[in-house]
Amino acid sequence: MIGRIWTAYTVELRKALRSASTYVGPVLVMLAVAGALVVHPVDRDGASDYGFVAYATPLALNLLGIFMTLVFCSGLVASELSHGTIRMVLVRPLLRREFLAAKLLLGMTYALGLVVLVAASAWGTAHALGDTAGVGYGGEILYTTSQMRWAYGAGMLLSMAPFAAAVSYAVFISTLTRSTGPAAALSLGLWLLVEGIKHPLGIEAYVFSTYLETPWRVFSGRVDLIDTAWFPEAKYCLGVSLAMALTFAFLSVYVLNRRNLNE
Amino acid sequence: MPACIQIAQVTKTFGATVAVSDLSLEVETGEVLGLLGPNGAGKSTTLCMLSGLVRPTSGTIALFGKDPLVQFLDIAPRMGVLMERPAFYNHLSVRKNLSLLAALSGREVTIDRTLDLVGLLRVASQKVGKLSRGMRQRVGLAQALIGDPELLLLDEPTSGLDVESTQEMLHLLRRLADEAHVTIVFSSHMMHEVESLCDRVAILNGGRLVACEATDDLMSYDSSAVDVVVEAPEGAARRLADQAWVESATLRSGRIEVRLRDGTVPQLTAFLVASGYKVSGVIPKRRTLQEYFLKVLNV
Repeated sequence: MIGRIWTAYTVELRKALRSASTYVGPVLVMLAVAGALVVHPVDRDGASDYGFVAYATPLALNLLGIFMTLVFCSGLVASELSHGTIRMVLVRPLLRREFLAAKLLLGMTYALGLVVLVAASAWGTAHALGDTAGVGYGGEILYTTSQMRWAYGAGMLLSMAPFAAAVSYAVFISTLTRSTGPAAALSLGLWLLVEGIKHPLGIEAYVFSTYLETPWRVFSGRVDLIDTAWFPEAKYCLGVSLAMALTFAFLSVYVLNRRNLNE
Repeated sequence: MPACIQIAQVTKTFGATVAVSDLSLEVETGEVLGLLGPNGAGKSTTLCMLSGLVRPTSGTIALFGKDPLVQFLDIAPRMGVLMERPAFYNHLSVRKNLSLLAALSGREVTIDRTLDLVGLLRVASQKVGKLSRGMRQRVGLAQALIGDPELLLLDEPTSGLDVESTQEMLHLLRRLADEAHVTIVFSSHMMHEVESLCDRVAILNGGRLVACEATDDLMSYDSSAVDVVVEAPEGAARRLADQAWVESATLRSGRIEVRLRDGTVPQLTAFLVASGYKVSGVIPKRRTLQEYFLKVLNV
């Protein structure tokens, strides 16, 4: 099974790399990082420019990054259904759940790509145009460069949890619809609806989007000279996100397994 | 050896619509079965159920003695499927499309041979989206042939092909059946294609199997229909049409097409000779699949 999923994943990756639409998200998040310079300029004045990184990262990832991931992933199955290519694929020795696993892996690769790209652009910009020495106050270094890097790196890893839930959610929506446009509209529409009602209904603790900021709290806190703890927020972020990722993955398998692919 | 395909009392409904009803059918290994029927007869749904894309509402299907819903991974590598209106990744080349599909089949090595077999080598680097419908249909056949399948399920494979390409495809399929003993289920609206390719014909109507006969039996001589070549055919045709034992006598291209009700050919000949007509030929007529098809469907 692992071998078939891996093969299907590499096939999906080869297809995605040859599609122009795959590159829209990466270009946009890089533009967002560049655009952050307008609000948060960096220069070589001796003061640390981690503030730019702490501003640009959530801006690019939690708004544009998640938006682009939802759009990209909601087309993954829907486009195959609308074009009919799914019928070519699923008559091969590949089970529907393995096909979905390959799609989920592709979505995760896309999300990881965005996170790495944002990190590289934000750090690259800060390093090239400003200063990335440790964070200090009154001449004293409170957080060394190494500590800041670790906090950011751990944040990158943790950010993959809500992204995994987002990927799984969008792929689930993708299995429900027959074309990419409605799939993207439905996934974004439902997302916005839940964002709007989760606080009034008091369910925000159970919604993974609540934890999009969590991975960057420690890093941002250190930039503001606030010592922020990872736990218990990181635990909730991880738990809720992974639970939702698994739930949506199982729902996707259930829906696709029941689906007739006769047209 | 069990039949390659065993379908037993299969029914498929979509909501209130019955697409296939109580279908039972067996296809032997190496046999070419033609699926005929008007639009909406259930041909495509039957092929979709055989290929595992659609789950039957009731009944059982076995391919190579195995249930496609349970042992799909054992069946899929032995099966090639071409669905109606095949779809591809239009932004990729023919070769890339086939290479991706072959990778999923685990048979990447056979691509060039398959491309050559269906006459696609010269357009292998063109994007599929730029190809004509006929060429796309060839790509569809090529992807079905990847991995030398033992069973081919083909839904209107000649759709969009020109006459020459259709003949090439039919020859290729016949060769696969004769030389490699590939079992083929072939759905089409074209009677002459089914006549020339298939060993047996199954006719579906309204989701039901209404007839299933060996093609040779269907095409046998019809003892109740003859063409008569006679001098002064106009008069002879009128005389024949008046006889109670003649169903019809129609003049066509200087010959009389006679359909007998309860008469026999010797009786017909004797009648014409006795009536003073010089009979120079009585040619028995072969049934055509089209006639049989229309008769079965009561059209």
